[in-house]
Amino acid sequence: MRPELPTRRDEAWRWADLRHAEAFLETPAPANDALPETDHLWLDLAGPRQLFVAGQPVGAAAQAPTPDRTLPRHPLADLAAARATAGATLEIPAGADAGLVQLLHVGRGGAAHGITRVILGAGARLTLVESFADEGQDHWLNHRLDAELGPGAELVRVSRTLSGHGLVSDRAAVRMREASRFVHLTLGLGAASLRAEVEVLLEGAGAHAEVDGILLADGAAVLDALTRLDHRVPDTSSRQRWRLVAGGTAQASIAGGVAVARHAQKTDAEQSLKALLLRRTAAVNLKPELEIFADDVACAHGCTVGELDRAALFYLGTRGVPPAEAEALLTLAFVADALAGLPEGALQDALDAEARAWLARHAGGRA
Amino acid sequence: MMLEIRNLHASVDGREILKGLDLSVRAGEVHAIMGPNGAGKSTLAYVLAGREGYEVTAGSVTFDGTDLLSMAPHERAAAGLFLGHQYPVEIPGVSNLLFLRTAINAQRKERGEPEISGADFMKRVRTEAAALGLDMEMLKRGVNVGFSGGEKKRNEAFQLAMLEPRLAILDESDSGLDIDALKVVAGGINRFMGPERAVLLITHYQRLLDHVRPTHVHVLMDGRIVESGGPELALRLESEGYERHAA
Ligand SMILES: Nc1ncnc2c1ncn2[C@@H]1O[C@H](COP(=O)(O)OP(=O)(O)OP(=O)(O)O)[C@@H](O)[C@H]1O
Ligand SMILES: [Mg+2]
Repeated sequence: MRPELPTRRDEAWRWADLRHAEAFLETPAPANDALPETDHLWLDLAGPRQLFVAGQPVGAAAQAPTPDRTLPRHPLADLAAARATAGATLEIPAGADAGLVQLLHVGRGGAAHGITRVILGAGARLTLVESFADEGQDHWLNHRLDAELGPGAELVRVSRTLSGHGLVSDRAAVRMREASRFVHLTLGLGAASLRAEVEVLLEGAGAHAEVDGILLADGAAVLDALTRLDHRVPDTSSRQRWRLVAGGTAQASIAGGVAVARHAQKTDAEQSLKALLLRRTAAVNLKPELEIFADDVACAHGCTVGELDRAALFYLGTRGVPPAEAEALLTLAFVADALAGLPEGALQDALDAEARAWLARHAGGRA
Repeated sequence: MMLEIRNLHASVDGREILKGLDLSVRAGEVHAIMGPNGAGKSTLAYVLAGREGYEVTAGSVTFDGTDLLSMAPHERAAAGLFLGHQYPVEIPGVSNLLFLRTAINAQRKERGEPEISGADFMKRVRTEAAALGLDMEMLKRGVNVGFSGGEKKRNEAFQLAMLEPRLAILDESDSGLDIDALKVVAGGINRFMGPERAVLLITHYQRLLDHVRPTHVHVLMDGRIVESGGPELALRLESEGYERHAA
């Protein structure tokens, strides 16, 4: 039976572009042993790497991880669980530091589904960079990450979409025990369609989640993100910083959710959603969604849409900086906040450089 | 002639502000432009720098013989024109150092010169910042972010020193400065000046001219230069005001 995909009539999907999911729903990516050129797709950082092409691991045996069935149901994530035939399981024992691991998912032709399962023992640490790209054809990469963070564990995950065609849908669902720490950065640089979701269940006192995102949308891209930070017990905290930039006829959206359960007192949930419209032909949507049932909570939130400061552009001009370069500089300054949640060091620097390069490439050439 | 302005008319929002302004500046000269509030002094500075919204309706401006008005703001800067802003802009998230280095390299690129090396850049930053009393911590902050009025003006003088233009148009570089800072900024202008360079000094007060000696003084009123003279003209304005021109 053909599964039902969400439609734009569903509130949570109103800004999503699922055309390629519809098109490729029953069309798996063609089997093909040719390897894509991937050198430029990895971040230049030390650590183990695994490449998946159309959902299949390259140079390793295919084995689908067992999804975490206790996580909330979700139409695309459930589909990934049902259809994925491979994936990565990263189980880090208590107290161990696994360093940085990169997984690269390359889409090809039709649909490919994938699962990454992360289980961190007490005090374990992992930095996981998952990148999504394609080979220049329309496709659909549908991915889920299921993560469990033991007490005091720390997970940093970057979901990085470079894809220029088709659709990437990536949903991270994370359970957090006491005093664990989760940092997530969504980096959407593609010119195609992206649906990025992050749902965090803060289930232990002292858990802190930092869920940030940068969506740089140009051309006719439709980049759409949705988060839900679910504070289920007292004394947890979260911070969300999203910076959206839209040029051309692109659309960038974020629905940033915070839920605080009735007894989850002393929750501190902060949210800042900001968008920059580079051209009047582009569109941005910002939607804070706060469901707060406890009374002793701090939920600061801010939401602004702006354009580049013309006085600042002129100031830069009088110093000799051409308009395109001035725009790129101001735009980079605008998005930089969202990188601040990552630990300082090589990963942060690499992503900053990537955003900078993207802005330099796209500056001036905008429609 | 370095700068030649002839019969310049300019409007903002459809309203004519400059109404036939003439001015000639040679290398080695310091011209002070004085005049009441709203006379059009900043408008002249913006028109020369190429700000959008400032429409030239008649007249011409040449800089070293080339048509300035057909150039974009960044091209004018690379050609050697500098505007010290009356109201310097704050740019959060872009450090003063990144801003300056981007500016220097953009100008060099426009002129077909190689980029400045990191070491040379930092060496010059240290020298010039020390001369203007700006500390390195301030320069690592966003451009003008959290700077006091006087610190912003010192930062303009610092940028002037770093960018080494040929013509500096300084719009009220002295406003908001305390007595010591005035001397520091004036010192910066004097160090900048030389036989190959020129300054257009927009100011309301004689006190800056006590430190930076003008070769020419002009009175700008209602969009025109209505009187020109030497340093003595500024002294007379200081005691008489602009009443004589109001008629
Ligand atoms: N954007 C604008 N729209 C309409 N009028 C403007 C605009 N900008 C400036 N003006 C007007 O142009 C006139 C000249 O302004 P300008 O800023 O050039 O004066 P100024 O001589 O620099 O004065 P001050 O000594 O106060 O700095 C003023 O009457 C001002 O109100
Ligand atoms: Mg003025």
